[in-house]
Amino acid sequence: MTGRKPSRFTAFLWHRRAGLAAIILVIILAVTGLMLNHTEELGLDETFIESPMLLNWYGLEPQGEIVSYAAGEHSVSQWDRQVFLDNRPLSTGSQQLHGAVFAQQMIVAAFDSELLLLTPDGELIDRVPTGQSFSTIRRIGVKYQRPVVETAGPLYYMADEHILDWDVTLDDGVVWSQPSAPDAERTETLRRAFRGNGLSLERVLLDLHSGRIFGTYGPYLMDAAAVALLWLGGSGLWVWWSRRRKLKHKRHYRKHHRV
Amino acid sequence: MLTVLLLAVNAVAGGVYQEPEAFIADVFGDKIPKPEVIWPDARLKQSLADILGHAYASLRIRYWRRNATTAWVLDEVGKEQPITTGIVVTDGKIERLRILVFRESRGGEVRHDFFTEQFDQARLLPDHELDRHIDNISGATLSVHAVSRLARVALLLDQQVRSQQAAR
Repeated sequence: MTGRKPSRFTAFLWHRRAGLAAIILVIILAVTGLMLNHTEELGLDETFIESPMLLNWYGLEPQGEIVSYAAGEHSVSQWDRQVFLDNRPLSTGSQQLHGAVFAQQMIVAAFDSELLLLTPDGELIDRVPTGQSFSTIRRIGVKYQRPVVETAGPLYYMADEHILDWDVTLDDGVVWSQPSAPDAERTETLRRAFRGNGLSLERVLLDLHSGRIFGTYGPYLMDAAAVALLWLGGSGLWVWWSRRRKLKHKRHYRKHHRV
Repeated sequence: MLTVLLLAVNAVAGGVYQEPEAFIADVFGDKIPKPEVIWPDARLKQSLADILGHAYASLRIRYWRRNATTAWVLDEVGKEQPITTGIVVTDGKIERLRILVFRESRGGEVRHDFFTEQFDQARLLPDHELDRHIDNISGATLSVHAVSRLARVALLLDQQVRSQQAAR
């Protein structure tokens, strides 16, 4: 028991309470702020998160099923809009992959209304839009070493040797690209490739600092921590000033009322 | 080396102002010539990289040609997303430049005629610069620079096509 009257120590009590309540958030703010001030020296933008828990938290877990097609000695796959050549992420896009073939020394991947022409090394040769030439592509195959597409018509078109122009053809003799399901090992490889360098430590620290990592209301939580910091500053000043005044009074009393 | 691609299909924030195919149809009318391709050699690749500040994204570049006119549909990233631009070159001078697809969230002012008309009749100087100054648009600087680079690329590619034609 201090014998103090609570009403006279409100500022001190709330100073203490605010300090205790905000301590974790203030530590987060201070530590992340310090680290972010030295992003380059600490290499935060070059350090990437591998923790499955954090990656899942950020939604870097691919959704849906893997669609995979063999193209010669290679394979073209798509998982959650991410396109892969073998195990390497190539591109993202909202169009669905409908097959891939190896023809004219190129890997030809067919999407809804676009063909992606790649070298076996994964270099982009060309993107050929097909929306004006024919309707949505359903599948792709090879006939006479040339790509053939089946459209929603259904109609069949065979490309010229440069894969620039198309002629109507028949579907007999076409070897169609067939989807295949990757095994568990390859699925894991593609998952790692999907996540790739997707989440830098800098991103996580920025989101921790702003509170966004805690979800929609996270920034308000950090706002509260900032307000608590302001309160701590103000109430600390008030406590210091009131104690100083009190001490002065005490000294004055002792000086003039000494027995 | 694996090329990182951006299909960016349907991922359009700014807008599709004209489908590339419709642009080509506008240029050539009903009889659209078959597309042709240019495979840049090492020297041309270097010149393209000098203009763009990075290697050109694809190994071959499609174009359409009739007589002295060539039409190009080219992509270049402004800040984060590719800007698809249609450029028509006749006799080594830009006849028409149009922003076809703008995907960036800012800087879409480059689609307006007051900006694109600055390129009309522009030529390429020997140092691969345009023969005129292109006025900047406040708040759209990166887009302005990207479109200006594409204009230079189209003129350079047209030069290449014409020199190939002359050599035949």
